[in-house]
Amino acid sequence: MEEQMKEWPEPFSTTGGKTSMLVTMQEQVKEWLDQDKVDLFLGYKMVQKHPLPHCFTKDNLDEVDELIAGQARYSLEKIATKIAAERPEIKIGLLARDCNQRALNVLYVWNQLNPDNLETINVNCCPSKLKEHGDCSYLEPEQVGSFKKMIGIDNIIEVKAAEEFSQEDRFNRWMYEFQKCLKCYGCRNICPVCFCEECSLEHTDLIATGSIPPEVPIFHLVRAVHMGGRCIDCGLCEDTCPVDIPLRLLYRKVNETVEDVFGYVTGTNADQSPFNLLGDEVTLKIKPI
Amino acid sequence: MDYKIIPSICSYCGCGCGVLFQVFDGKLVGTLPMKTHLVNEGKLCIKGWNLHEHVVSDKRLKSPMLKKDGNLQETTWDEAIQTTADKLKAIIQKHGPDSVGVLASAKVTNEENYLAQKFTRAAIGTNNVDHCARL
Ligand code: SF4
Ligand code: SF4
Repeated sequence: MEEQMKEWPEPFSTTGGKTSMLVTMQEQVKEWLDQDKVDLFLGYKMVQKHPLPHCFTKDNLDEVDELIAGQARYSLEKIATKIAAERPEIKIGLLARDCNQRALNVLYVWNQLNPDNLETINVNCCPSKLKEHGDCSYLEPEQVGSFKKMIGIDNIIEVKAAEEFSQEDRFNRWMYEFQKCLKCYGCRNICPVCFCEECSLEHTDLIATGSIPPEVPIFHLVRAVHMGGRCIDCGLCEDTCPVDIPLRLLYRKVNETVEDVFGYVTGTNADQSPFNLLGDEVTLKIKPI
Repeated sequence: MDYKIIPSICSYCGCGCGVLFQVFDGKLVGTLPMKTHLVNEGKLCIKGWNLHEHVVSDKRLKSPMLKKDGNLQETTWDEAIQTTADKLKAIIQKHGPDSVGVLASAKVTNEENYLAQKFTRAAIGTNNVDHCARL
């Protein structure tokens, strides 16, 4: 297996040696752990030639020398959410790219993480390429083939351009995309801002069991509706979808509506969401359109 | 508090997707696709996503089961293997080697699969050997 592996250059290093930025980052993490500013730090480490998420702790400070920014992007904040759910008092440090930061904002808004218990070290957004394309909304996305462009939907198409298809054409194209779905639930499982205890997508009255594709377009539209005011456009769902359904386009559209109606740009800050029903204050304020 | 990510390979089919197990205080709590694995490039099917569930399932068999007095009962490997050997011998004696078939697995090594076919052909004496990838 080993010889098949590509070389993954470390983002902060062009020479193979440690750059000063990487050293600074490692020193900072050591200091935080040593002084109990954080109980653990979620970052990346090379394991069997793969950059994997890793939890660094005070018990093994020397290991922090192996901390890297990582070339593959995992939802460290989702790991943090899982840890916090079990142990709310724990102070967590986190390596945060831009998308992680946006997801953290949403998780603060929805009380899944306590900002007082979280420290981040910010790194550049996907500084190197995981594959031939970038997974992140800020990087150059994967090019799709001509067949998909002709009868399906190009994953990199803008909402506006997609709206230019005639109603019938648009419907057919989306149905072509949806019927490929394997119902793997990967899009939900990987999503940093999917945290509900009970998921509508598993509700048998809504989505019948026992066949694939799941009920289309209900399955995908239910998820899309739930992403309004939540999706931070990190692209992890589309990246994990085995059949390349242009999921983000749907979520971008619902968030466009959220922005138009409520003036709320999801993930940009930790202010209350217009959809939050908790608390004394009514936050659902409709903007004049 | 102890949180670990352990790389592994999915144990379901012969594709061998790369997975990461999330281990929380010694308990297996989740599975993630490995993003840099060449086989699956960060994607998994529903079985792979739920690998941890079958590992920790209380329905999982932890020892061989033997049918005694009409009921499946836990037994030792020695007894299970001895019983299987005795039964196989009896069947072969009565109905001939071609009454036996062996199904090998995509999830064992090449060498183990080689052994399985060798055992089928040389020890049992039949060509009835196949593989789960063709079932
Ligand atoms: S892009 Fe996908 S994975 Fe990321 S927040 Fe939106 S729905 Fe979740
Ligand atoms: S990741 Fe893709 S195939 Fe899997 S459930 Fe989501 S849309 Fe369907």
